[in-house]
Amino acid sequence: MLMVDTTKNTMIYTTWGSRNAKPVQPLVAAKLISKAKRPLLVIGADALDSDVINKAIAIGKKGLQIAATGHSMQGFKDQDVNAKYVNIHFLAHYLGDKNWKGLDGQGSYDLVIFLGHKKYYVNQVLSGLKNFTDIKTLAIDRHYLQNADMSFGNLKPEDHLEALDELISNL
Amino acid sequence: MSKITTGKFSLEDLENVQITINNIVGAIETKAEEEGVEMGPTPKPGISSLRNWDYKLLSRYQPVYTPVCDQCCYCTFGKCDLGGNKEGACGINMEAHQAREFLLRVITGAAAHAGHGRHILHHLIEKHGGDHPINVGPSNLLAPNTQMVTGIMPKTLGDLEKVMDYVEEQLTQLLATIHVGQEGSSLDFESKAMHGGMLDHVGMEVSDLAQISCMGMPKSDPEAPLAEIGMGCIDSTKPVLLVIGHNVAGVTYIMDYMREHDLDDKMELAGLCCTAIDMTRYQTDKGGQPRAKIIGALAKELKMIRSAAPDVIIVDEQCVRADVLDEAKRLFIPVITTNEKIMYGLPDRSKDSADKIIEDLSSGKEAGALILDFDLLGEVAPRLAMKMAPIREAKGIKSLPSDEELKTLTASCVQCGACELVCPNNLPIMNAMTAAVAGDITKFEKLHDHCIACGRCDPVCPKGIPILNVIEKAAQRAIREEKGKMRAGRGQISDPEIREEGVNLVMGTTPGILAMVGCSNYPEGTKDLYTVANEMLQRNYIVVMSGCSAMDLGMYKDEEGKTLYEKYPAKFLAGNLINVGSCVSNAHITGTAIKVAAIFAQRNITGNYEEIADYIMNRIGAVGVAWGAYSQKASSIATGCNRLGIPVIVGPHGSKYRRALIGKPYNEEDWKVYDARNGEEMPIPSSPEFLLTTAETIEELMPMIAKNCIRPSDNNMGRMIKLTHYIELSQKYLGHLPEDWYKFVRVETDLPITRREELLKILEKEHGWEIDWKRKKIISGPTMKLDVSAQPTNVKRLCKESVC
Ligand code: SF4
Ligand code: SF4
Ligand code: SF4
Repeated sequence: MLMVDTTKNTMIYTTWGSRNAKPVQPLVAAKLISKAKRPLLVIGADALDSDVINKAIAIGKKGLQIAATGHSMQGFKDQDVNAKYVNIHFLAHYLGDKNWKGLDGQGSYDLVIFLGHKKYYVNQVLSGLKNFTDIKTLAIDRHYLQNADMSFGNLKPEDHLEALDELISNL
Repeated sequence: MSKITTGKFSLEDLENVQITINNIVGAIETKAEEEGVEMGPTPKPGISSLRNWDYKLLSRYQPVYTPVCDQCCYCTFGKCDLGGNKEGACGINMEAHQAREFLLRVITGAAAHAGHGRHILHHLIEKHGGDHPINVGPSNLLAPNTQMVTGIMPKTLGDLEKVMDYVEEQLTQLLATIHVGQEGSSLDFESKAMHGGMLDHVGMEVSDLAQISCMGMPKSDPEAPLAEIGMGCIDSTKPVLLVIGHNVAGVTYIMDYMREHDLDDKMELAGLCCTAIDMTRYQTDKGGQPRAKIIGALAKELKMIRSAAPDVIIVDEQCVRADVLDEAKRLFIPVITTNEKIMYGLPDRSKDSADKIIEDLSSGKEAGALILDFDLLGEVAPRLAMKMAPIREAKGIKSLPSDEELKTLTASCVQCGACELVCPNNLPIMNAMTAAVAGDITKFEKLHDHCIACGRCDPVCPKGIPILNVIEKAAQRAIREEKGKMRAGRGQISDPEIREEGVNLVMGTTPGILAMVGCSNYPEGTKDLYTVANEMLQRNYIVVMSGCSAMDLGMYKDEEGKTLYEKYPAKFLAGNLINVGSCVSNAHITGTAIKVAAIFAQRNITGNYEEIADYIMNRIGAVGVAWGAYSQKASSIATGCNRLGIPVIVGPHGSKYRRALIGKPYNEEDWKVYDARNGEEMPIPSSPEFLLTTAETIEELMPMIAKNCIRPSDNNMGRMIKLTHYIELSQKYLGHLPEDWYKFVRVETDLPITRREELLKILEKEHGWEIDWKRKKIISGPTMKLDVSAQPTNVKRLCKESVC
């Protein structure tokens, strides 16, 4: 049984163009992450404002590598997760470089998952990735992010946390 | 043959014939020669003259494109979907189109400044004559940007006209390349954008030199007076005259009239944006005090109008909301437009009598007037404000809801979320509504600071709640407290100041210059500026402010009730806080770096752009921060800094400029320069790591600033100081020791003194460096040597010829 339908509300205020993110349910998102060879979880500083940071830690504990953008690194201090600080704009640049060895020196990534960012900001980062790289992107924030390949729809904060729980339990 | 000079000539035997010679080919070179100045290789560079330099920059700092729109609609072949870097019908691909879009932003910004510069110059020449001398303080190097770019050493207002001719001609050439079927290479578009940014700093410099010289503005004065700032400092029991825009020319006539008619104490003259800053500079160079108050930046525009406090609104140019007339009309506030750039469809009353205009506007017969005659404007505006105040008072005009209405309105919110979706910052409006119903208005007070008063939320509310007015009403208590102080813009950094501080900047013992510029589209409210400036001032950085950032900084006070302007001295020395002035004063920030090259390093700057940019890039630890950048002008200012090798960080909204310039520290090949002494390659630290990028939060921003002030020329003391700040700020705000700190270490004395032992251990254990523990010395490991006499350069021709 679905707990939260994360695909219902995909309203946008302005458009980047004719391509739209495919709305996904938490279960599908979890499967995508589990199937990826080199997933990277990108956590923004807005995660620190709410319980989202704990959800990020929980995902990290499932073995996902974390790119901590902004000052989200604060939230990962003394947590047993593999988190490294990187500026999100730099990250977007490096992801477009086939010779980049990744944050851990093991190579680039095939799926990049975004959580905890300002909507307008991460949409720009996603726009760069969408137009200039082959990397698959998944947004699990509480806003529908048009420029991701797949995204949750617009969610109320409490529904968002519930959806993240569902995602985590299916990883 | 005798030598022809410029000037007016009459011909013998021919009546009524006069020949005017304005320009002579090679005249700049000849003049320089006469004055004993060596002319560099690129006076008045054309679009391609500095292309090699740009390509050098662009190979280390590659463009990162983040399109705001996947489509192009420039011509009727289209529109074309360029998504996935596809080509449009004309053959242009997404990358090149994004570069073209960025170029368009840059030249739009440059044109706004240059247009302003030409207008004010024209006006001041008419008033004071072309021979009026440029007087900007105790400096010989009057116009560093102008001299470096054009080779012209202007001494009078008339000389500045030739400079503007050059800027305008080049901007036209650049604009031409936006047309369909012109440039196809993204990198060449980028080089053109750099050219536009460079021109912008020349145009800004002309504007400010002219106004400082003629309007009695502070002249490199560290003791420039303090002005009042904030919505809370306006006494609305007096008639209020509100000025909005960036060009102070017309407003000075209003100020003169007010003084002559003894009105200074009888009414409030308040301003928004850079006109406000320049009003507070007007006639303060000889100990005069500011005669106007500052409300704040663009984000306060609609809030101020909706407060219903203004009795008359005057607009000039740039960053003025397009709906000022409509908004004002609703509140019976007459609007006077004073500049051809903004006329709002109003009737031109420039030739009418003051009495007639005042009669028509105060009776409501006309909602506003266009007045281009400044003498007339000077009389009409204050007289009208005096007349309107009692009329508006009698009508009981107000726009914000009453306390009762506020309750009903907040209770009527159905939590649909429409407002949050359209809000550019997706602000938590629903939450604030719920809290207000429960009697808690603090969330609205926070919203007031975060809200940029764009008004986008109002029309989408299904319940018809005037959301902005609700925010403003609920935040009245906070608004009353909005009172601060801003130091009036001091203009240039003077030559003697450079002489004193230049060495510390180049050696790094002053950790860096932080220039906080630009507008007010902040991600998390105005206080962020204060937090950053305060932190960096405590760490001895020189903090330089300009434009709207300079204003917003003055809004906050410490525990003792002091603003940073009151707390920190304003000399060009470590740990000082300087306000150079308005938007056009940004030229003095780049001008400072150029002056260091000219005065401290004795480099010839005349027509010598590349060498000076190369010098600045390798030696001067300066970082620009435009935290709330939103305008096209901010992109041109930043790009002008970038061409000089000065990195700029913008706030997250800056990602919508579509392109950043970011390097790859992991590509070692990219971080090498020549040593000009022998032409050999030498590795350099990956700093600046970028020329233009965004940061997500101020916590991320602060360590970024510290790191990107590191330069190859730092001596060990300088490097130690810079590294200490980088490490401390990373630990304080990100909670970690940065991964790359060791890359900036050349010798043990580069290490923070108090943590030397601990860090040496890490170097040994984690990075495999060899340490002599007895002497606490590094034996091997660093990729760079400490050699303070090295001459780092990116330009091969500047190396000793025998080797290169
Ligand atoms: S300029 Fe080129 S890409 Fe743009 S609409 Fe015209 S054909 Fe299409
Ligand atoms: S007026 Fe303020 S709250 Fe409303 S949309 Fe604009 S920024 Fe958001
Ligand atoms: S649009 Fe109006 S009703 Fe809907 S959440 Fe916003 S304020 Fe409430």
